[in-house]
Amino acid sequence: MTELRGYPRARRLAAALAGCLALAGCAPKSWVVLLPNEDGSTGRIIVTGPGGEAEVARAGQAATLDTSVPKTFDASEQQIQETFGGALAAQPALPTVFRLYFELGGTQLTPESVALLPSVLNEVAGRPGADISIVGHTDTAGRAADNEALGLERATFVRDRIVEAGLRLDRISTESHGEGNPLVPTADDVSEPRNRRVEIVVR
Amino acid sequence: MVDWLRRLLCIAAVLTMSTSAYAESEPIGYVKTHAGAAFVVTGGETLEAFPGLSLHESDHIRTGEDGQLGLTLLDNTVMSVGPNADLVLEEYLFRPGEGDLGLGVRLLRGTLQFISGVIAKLRPEAVKVRTTTGTIGVRGTRFLVRAED
Repeated sequence: MTELRGYPRARRLAAALAGCLALAGCAPKSWVVLLPNEDGSTGRIIVTGPGGEAEVARAGQAATLDTSVPKTFDASEQQIQETFGGALAAQPALPTVFRLYFELGGTQLTPESVALLPSVLNEVAGRPGADISIVGHTDTAGRAADNEALGLERATFVRDRIVEAGLRLDRISTESHGEGNPLVPTADDVSEPRNRRVEIVVR
Repeated sequence: MVDWLRRLLCIAAVLTMSTSAYAESEPIGYVKTHAGAAFVVTGGETLEAFPGLSLHESDHIRTGEDGQLGLTLLDNTVMSVGPNADLVLEEYLFRPGEGDLGLGVRLLRGTLQFISGVIAKLRPEAVKVRTTTGTIGVRGTRFLVRAED
C-alpha cells in the first residue's frame, strides 16, 4: 500500500525534475530579475558576487546571486510570478505628486488649484497610512527672507486643509524652499505665477 | 584652561546626545500594505505591521509563511516583501539640501521588490541592495530579488 502510494509521488518528482532541467532558465535559489518601470522604461543593475560582476539591463533578464561570479539568464513570466507573486501583490501605490498654485504674495490659491484640492484630499483618503511631504515655494519678487516665510505660510495653509480632512499630523512634513527652488528659473525680482506653488507628495 | 576644556567636552557631549536622540526619533518611512504574519522589529521590539506604522534605520521587516508587507521611504523608494522574508533597513540618509544621501538594505531571506526613488536618481552609487552572497547596485530602476540558503 505504501509502495503503491509512494510510486506516483516519485514519478511526479521525477517529472518535475525533468521539466526543470528542460527549462534553460531553471532558476537558482538566490537571484535577481529586472522589471520595466511603471512608465515603460527599464533601468540597469550591477550584480556583484565575491568573484566578479554582471550587468543586467533588459526587462526579464536575471542574474544568479549564489555563484561566485553572477551568471545572467532570462526569467520566464511564469518563474517570476511563481517566485515573486507575494512581493508583487504587496506593492503599495506609487507616490503621487500634486502642484497647487497661488495668487501673488499670499496664501490665496488660484481658482484652478482650489478646484484641484479635493483630488489631493481624495488621494490621501484613499491611501491607508498615507504620509505627506509639503514644500512651499515662491517666485523671486521681494526679499528672499520674506519669501522663505511666505513659502512656509503656503505649505502650512495646505497642511491645514489636509489636517481638516482628518490625517494625523505626525505623518505630514512641512517646509519652505522660499525662492531658492523655482520651477521656472528667473532673474531676481520677477513675478512668475508658475513658481508660486506648493508641491505635495502623497505616499 | 581645564575649566574651558571641561565646558567644551560638556557641550560636545550634549550635542552628541541630542543628535542621536534626533536620529532615533526620525522615521525614514512607513508601512503601507500588509497581509498574513507581517512584523517590524525595532529596537528589540516586535510590532505587528499596520498601514502608517513608522520605520527607522536598522529596523527588520519580517514575514511568516503567509506574510506580505509593502512600505515606502521618504525619498519615494518603494519596497515590498513576500512570505518568509527578513529585510534589514541598514542605512538611510536623505538630506538632499546638504547632499547627504545613502540607502542600504540587506535581504537575509525571502523575496523583495525594489522600486528606486529620489536617492537613486540623485546619487545612484549610494544605493545598495545586499544579500548574504551578493550585492546589487541600482541605476534607477525596478527589480525583484530572492535570497535563500
